[in-house]
Amino acid sequence: MKLTDHLIIFFTILGGFWLDASISLLTIPFNVEPCIGLLVFCYWVFAIPEKLHSSSAFMYGLLVDLFFGQVIGLHMLFFIATSYIIHVYVFRFRLFSYLQLTIFFAAVCAFFLACKYLILSPVNYSYSLLILSFFVNALTWLAVYFLMRSFRRKFFIT
Amino acid sequence: MARTTPTFTPIGKYALAFLISLALMVGDLSYGTFSPLRGFFKASSLYSQLIVSNLLNSVEHTIASFQDKKSLLRSNEMLRTELLQMQTKDFLKRQSDSISNDLIQLEGEFQDLIKKIDVKIFKIASFGLKNYLCCSAHELYLLNPQKLEIGQNLPVSNGKSFIGQTAGKNFSLIKVIMLSDIDHVLPVKSKNLFCNARGAGKPLFISCITDDHEDLNGNKVNDPIFTSGLGGIFPRDVLVGTISSITELSLERHEIMIKLAANPLNENYLGILVGS
Repeated sequence: MKLTDHLIIFFTILGGFWLDASISLLTIPFNVEPCIGLLVFCYWVFAIPEKLHSSSAFMYGLLVDLFFGQVIGLHMLFFIATSYIIHVYVFRFRLFSYLQLTIFFAAVCAFFLACKYLILSPVNYSYSLLILSFFVNALTWLAVYFLMRSFRRKFFIT
Repeated sequence: MARTTPTFTPIGKYALAFLISLALMVGDLSYGTFSPLRGFFKASSLYSQLIVSNLLNSVEHTIASFQDKKSLLRSNEMLRTELLQMQTKDFLKRQSDSISNDLIQLEGEFQDLIKKIDVKIFKIASFGLKNYLCCSAHELYLLNPQKLEIGQNLPVSNGKSFIGQTAGKNFSLIKVIMLSDIDHVLPVKSKNLFCNARGAGKPLFISCITDDHEDLNGNKVNDPIFTSGLGGIFPRDVLVGTISSITELSLERHEIMIKLAANPLNENYLGILVGS
């Protein structure tokens, strides 16, 4: 894959995290934390798995940690683990319905949030946040999926 | 359907990348190995944001100069900022005077040291609002365009009480760790109770744990809490907040939650007590 494609993908992921940071200020008081950045990354791995491998996940994770993270390694870990799972099951996912995909990616987000809170901020860990975020991220996945698909087709990243 | 044929995904590279990430995370969490690097990236990103916002502001000001209403609003904002600055300066001046008086009482020959106490006012460059609302790391950055030499562990105030202490600098940004940060410890007192209050990781709250029931000394909800000055960073007898709840953890252990008096979200300018 060309460097420009990597840059485009990275900037969409960065944009997702920037949106996360901006929207979170409104949603956190309602116990909801969106994971747009992670979902955008998941979309790219899901859409072009043959182009994004462990090294891409590693680099994107590192850069996201440097710009947005409280600690180096957290996003890297999740990007690598998620990337591996998507790669292993990618062709099975293609047979999944939208509902099944939505549930899977919302669960990935809920797991990420649970680990993030347990590692970085155990005093603020709450089940209500995970459950509410699960539903919000399920809806977010649908929006991310259709938006990113049209974006990918427009920029011919295949 | 699939656009390519199924391929084998070797686990080796993923496992290696996973282990490296894990090692980096553990290293950073336990020893803060990469905190200078993170600080560098954060400061760079803040600078780019500031440059963009300055550009936008100058464009906005140019347009506003043609509109009376907007210029009135601007002058109003300037006056408000000036008032805030004066308020913060006044508070910190009083604190520095109090320290000065203490020192004079102790020893007249410390006059040279007293002269070194000064108050510097800085504008908030960035507030980690997301982490402040959701998580345990509560920090902000102050803008230091004149690149004044500001050391670590100096008290930071919002004009009414203290909100935290300096924790280093990146370029010309001063990092401030707030009292409610889970890693911050503030020695406090109330009546005869002395304890080290740790940030609760929640906005506006710190907590201290007493190991003995006697330690409570009749303290109850809504009692004021003051700095004890024992840490050597904050001057003593400054109001920190009030007791919001007392919870019995076990037979002799109590957790005292303290609601902070100073809300950093309401301020644009903060003062640093330099040379204290």
